[in-house]
Amino acid sequence: MKLDKLGRKNLPWVYLFILPSVVVFLTFYLLPIVTVFVTSLTRWDGYNPPTFQGFRNYSLLLSRSVFLISLRNLLWWSLIAGTLHVGFGVLVAFLFSRRPVGWKAVRTVYMIPNVISGAAWAMIYRFIFNNDFGLLNGMIRVFAPGFNVKWLFQSPYAFWAVTLTWLFYAVIITLIVHADLMSIPAELHEAAHIDGATGLQIAWRIDLPLCRFSIGTSVILSITSRIAMYEAVALTTRGGPGDDTMNIPIILVNAITDMNYGYANAAAVSMFVLGIVTLVLVNWLFRMNRRVY
Amino acid sequence: MADNAPSVTRTALVRQAGTSKEDVKRTTRRILFGVFMYGVLIFVFVVSALPVVWVIMSAFKDNSAILSSPFSLPNQLNFQAFVQVFTLYNFQTYTLNSLLVASLATLLSLVVYAMGAYVIARFDFPGKSLFYILFTLTLLVPPHTKAQPIFSLILNLRLYDTKTALVVVYLSFGMAMSMFILRAAFMAIPKEFDEAAAIEGASFVRTFWMINLPLAKTGLATAGIMMFLGHWNEYFYAMLLTASAKHRTLPLALAFFTEAFSYDYTQMFAALTVVIIPGIVIYALTQEQVQASVASSGVKG
Repeated sequence: MKLDKLGRKNLPWVYLFILPSVVVFLTFYLLPIVTVFVTSLTRWDGYNPPTFQGFRNYSLLLSRSVFLISLRNLLWWSLIAGTLHVGFGVLVAFLFSRRPVGWKAVRTVYMIPNVISGAAWAMIYRFIFNNDFGLLNGMIRVFAPGFNVKWLFQSPYAFWAVTLTWLFYAVIITLIVHADLMSIPAELHEAAHIDGATGLQIAWRIDLPLCRFSIGTSVILSITSRIAMYEAVALTTRGGPGDDTMNIPIILVNAITDMNYGYANAAAVSMFVLGIVTLVLVNWLFRMNRRVY
Repeated sequence: MADNAPSVTRTALVRQAGTSKEDVKRTTRRILFGVFMYGVLIFVFVVSALPVVWVIMSAFKDNSAILSSPFSLPNQLNFQAFVQVFTLYNFQTYTLNSLLVASLATLLSLVVYAMGAYVIARFDFPGKSLFYILFTLTLLVPPHTKAQPIFSLILNLRLYDTKTALVVVYLSFGMAMSMFILRAAFMAIPKEFDEAAAIEGASFVRTFWMINLPLAKTGLATAGIMMFLGHWNEYFYAMLLTASAKHRTLPLALAFFTEAFSYDYTQMFAALTVVIIPGIVIYALTQEQVQASVASSGVKG
C-alpha cells in the first residue's frame, strides 16, 4: 500500500490509536466466536477442560423436542416477520411519503417502543395481557363481561400474544424504507402520471421494486431479531405454556445455567447458521446483488 | 406526490373528456384512501402511545382503581408509589448503577472508537481496510451467541457480579455502529486542518484531541446517544453477569421487582414508569439524531 507523507511519519501513532479497538475486537468478538464454534464440539462444564466429542451436542439438540419446537416457532415467527411485520412497516413508510397531516408526530411516537428497554416493553405487554388488570381484557370486558383468558399462559394464545409484542412495532423498517422512497427521483413519478398510471400502480410497479434493497434489509433485520428474541419470551412466558413459545436463546441461557457449555454453544452456532441462511436466502430472493438504478 | 402539477393537468384533461360518473368514482376512491390512510396512522399512534400512557397513568392509581377501571384517569396525582419504589426498594441504587454503567461505557467507547475511526478515516496504513471490515462485520454477530465465552471470560477476570463487568462488556457493543458513524464524521473534516497543524508543529495526539475531536462533535453526539440508549436498556448481559442487588441495573431490577411484588400493582407500574421515562426523555431531546442514524444504518443501540 502506498503511504502518504503524513501517514508514514505517524505510523507508530496510527497503530497505537487503533490498538484499543483491535483489543476489544479480539477479546469480545473473535475469541468468543472461535470459542463458541470449537467448544460446541466438546463436552464442557466450565471447570474441567473440554473433551472433544464430535457432533454429539448437535445431534442431542436435534433430538430434543424443545429445540424442534423452537425451530418451528422460529419458522412461523420469521414468516410473520418477513410478511406482515415488514409489510406493515413498508405500508406506513408509503403513507408517510404522502406527507399526510400529522405524519411527523406519528413518526416520533412510533419510535417510542423502540427507545425503551426490551425488558420494560416485555413487562408492559405482560401487564397488558394480564387477566386481572390488563388493558386487553379490560377492553374486551366492556363488550363481554365475565371474559377470562390468560393470554400468556394458555395454549394456543401464548404464541400469538408473544407475536403481538413485536408485530406492529416496525419503526426501523419504516424509517429505512421511507429514506429510500424519498430518494426516488420525482421525474419517475411525473412520467408515470403522464402515462396515466394510478397511485396504486406507481406504488406497486415503481416504488416497491426501487425500494428492493431497503425492504430486503428490513426482512433480514426482522428475521434475525426473531432468532435473537430473548426478553419478549423470557420475561413473559419463559417459553411456556409447555414449550409453546420456546426459542433458541432460552435454550442457550438454560444450558449455561446448567453448566452445559458445549451444548449451549451448539445452540449458539445454530443461531449463527440460521442468521447466515437468512442473509443468503433473502439476498437471493430480493436479488440484492443486482443494482437498482 | 398526490397533488403535484402533472396530476392536476391530468385531472383537467380527464374532466374535459370524461363523464361526471367517473368524477364521482375518483372522488369516492380518494375519500376511501384518505380514510384508510388516517386509519392506519391513528392505529400506529395508538399502539405505540397507549401502552406507555396506560402504564404511567396506572402508577398514580390505587390497586382497586387499576382493577375496576383500567381506562379511567387517576383521581389525584399521588406520587406515593414512586417514593416507596425509591426509598423502600432501592431504586435509587439501581438508577445510579444504570447511570454509572451506561455513561462510563459510552464515554469509554467514544474514546476507543473515535481513536480507531480517526486513523481509519485519515491515514493509509497496512491492514486499514481489513480492520474496518472486521469492525463493521461485528454488527452481524447476535450478542446472545457469545453469552458463554463472555460469561467465562468475566468469571476468569474475577469481574463476575461487578459493575465493571457490565462496563467492559457494553464497551464492546457499540463497535460497528460507532465505526460507521465516527469514520464518516472524521472523513467530513477537511484534511487541510491536519496538515496545517503538522506545519505548526502540533503532535499527533494534539491534532486529534484539539482539532479533529471538536470538529466531529455531531458524529460523537449521535454515536454517544445511540450507545447510551442501548446500554441503559440492556437486560441480557446484566442478567448473566450480575447476581447481587448491589450491582443491579434498572431493567434487571424491574424484572426482580415484578416477580416479588406482583400483588402491589401501583408499585409495579411506578417501577415500570421509572425504567421507561429516561429513555423516552433522551429520545425526545435528541429525536432528529436518533431517527437519522436509524434510517442510515438500520441499527439501534
